[in-house]
Amino acid sequence: MSVIEVRGLKKSFGDLEVLRGIDLTVEAGERIAIIGGSGCGKSVFLRCVELLETPNAGKIFIDGEELTAPDVDIDKIRRKLGMVWQRFNLFTHMNVMENLTVAPIKLLGMTEEAAREKAMGLLATVGLTSKADAYPEFLSGGQQQRIAICRSLMMNPKVILFDEPTSALDPTMVGEVLAVIRMLAKQGLTMIIVTHEMNFAREVATRILFFADGEIYEQGTPAEIFDAPQRPKTIAFIHKQKYFSYEIFERAFDLMEMQGKIQMFAEKYGLSSRKTNRLQLCCEELIYEMIENTCSGENILHITLDITYAEVDNSLEIKFSCAGKEYNPLDKNFEDFDVENLGATILHSLSKDFSHEYSDGVNKISFRLA
Amino acid sequence: MGFTDLLYKIFIKDGSWLTILNGLWVTVQISALSLLLGTLLGSLLCFFRVGNIKPLKIAAQVYISIIRGSPVLMLLMLFFYGIFARTGMSPILVAVITFAMHTAAHVAELLRSALMALDKGQVEAARTLGFSKWQAFKLVTLPQLARIAKPVYQSTVVNLIQWTSVVGYVTITDLTRVINNTASRTMQPMITIIGGMIIYLALSYLVYGIFHLTDRRRAQ
Repeated sequence: MSVIEVRGLKKSFGDLEVLRGIDLTVEAGERIAIIGGSGCGKSVFLRCVELLETPNAGKIFIDGEELTAPDVDIDKIRRKLGMVWQRFNLFTHMNVMENLTVAPIKLLGMTEEAAREKAMGLLATVGLTSKADAYPEFLSGGQQQRIAICRSLMMNPKVILFDEPTSALDPTMVGEVLAVIRMLAKQGLTMIIVTHEMNFAREVATRILFFADGEIYEQGTPAEIFDAPQRPKTIAFIHKQKYFSYEIFERAFDLMEMQGKIQMFAEKYGLSSRKTNRLQLCCEELIYEMIENTCSGENILHITLDITYAEVDNSLEIKFSCAGKEYNPLDKNFEDFDVENLGATILHSLSKDFSHEYSDGVNKISFRLA
Repeated sequence: MGFTDLLYKIFIKDGSWLTILNGLWVTVQISALSLLLGTLLGSLLCFFRVGNIKPLKIAAQVYISIIRGSPVLMLLMLFFYGIFARTGMSPILVAVITFAMHTAAHVAELLRSALMALDKGQVEAARTLGFSKWQAFKLVTLPQLARIAKPVYQSTVVNLIQWTSVVGYVTITDLTRVINNTASRTMQPMITIIGGMIIYLALSYLVYGIFHLTDRRRAQ
């Protein structure tokens, strides 16, 4: 039997549709990482699974019991779920030991000694036995988060939901928290992790869900998602692609403005000045080459320039379209240098994977910057 | 006549100390009862104010803004000479009602601001562990609310004690009135009034002391 089953989950806030129908089945032992851009609904999804947000439609089953049924004992079902928060949410007026033991004593009827013993055992696994009597405000973020994980483990949950467990931490403390989660993963605990730590997701998860547009846009094994994403938004996300586009409508277009915008785009993503210069040069030569040869005499034209920068491999891809006569600027012999074709020569030497296509009166060119 | 003789004459002689003590008792009575009723009523008001029931919410809002926006002496006179004039109610009871209503408005606001300062995440954390709404309230909200609201509540108490000094207007012989009478009788306003102020000051510090005792010391 599946630990969590979600069917047709929908949630909107006012007019904003955050989740547009999520279906998910989590089997025991699965470790699911949810990735996606901010605002894609991944945190809201976790909150819905905990019923902290009431879904507008859909059903949620936890360990076979329907959480969304009208007269169900929510508190009882919630004990099967553990939740670890971005902001830790330890009880600030209790010390660590009280934080850990209060729920099992009051809800599971555990004796105080048994609860303390169990708590000390868990603290030992995360290396924090010395902090048993400390108050949360005196602990670092990483320590607080490790204790928060222990707190949810005290209830013996069937599954733990992690809502960006390292997003509020200093970079120096991320490691210690990830180490604890890794350890739980090795023990075979079922978990759902919303995270921005891609390497961690890849290493720990058995399945990756990529959220976009309020739905599970693509899912698969870490290798499938990270090495060979299939759908465009997944590809853009995994390759950390950044876009720049520019349109030209007349012969006397503002070249300086375009170059300035390319410069800003390049600076924003830390492109080297050499790369930036080459990019600008290519764009300029290509544009003039095409204006001259495809729309001679006309003043109205339509050119679009799309630049895609992938942070992952530091590559630049340029897509160019130009309405007019068919013309391929690189359809020449570059063996002997020719002053007449200086622009095309420059283009030839700076580009690779060049392709040209002509259809419906539009030249489509794409290439990568060498 | 030496200074000690003067003090003796003003504060001790002919049962003067008993009269002052009686006045103090009246002040303490009015303050304590108003505080008790005011805190209860204030909690209820705050509950309405932050709740989801529209009419109660608006009623609480109107009540709070009217009471907080008008001088407490006006309210006292309105009750004494107006609303309860024909009931034959004892002046002290009228004063208690007035100050309880006044304190309630202040307590409601201080509780509301404490509620807003509260970290909602901790309540959610308690809920996800499996605590019910009421359990989470007892476990997290209440103790943290108390901790946040305490410093403001403490000054509300001290303020209340001082505000009660106007009850002389409605024929109540409280500490202030007794001091005033003594000053006229002995023709020594300076010493008498300073003495009275010291008694109020002592009362305030007693309140601070009591609050200080309830401070839970934390082990680091």
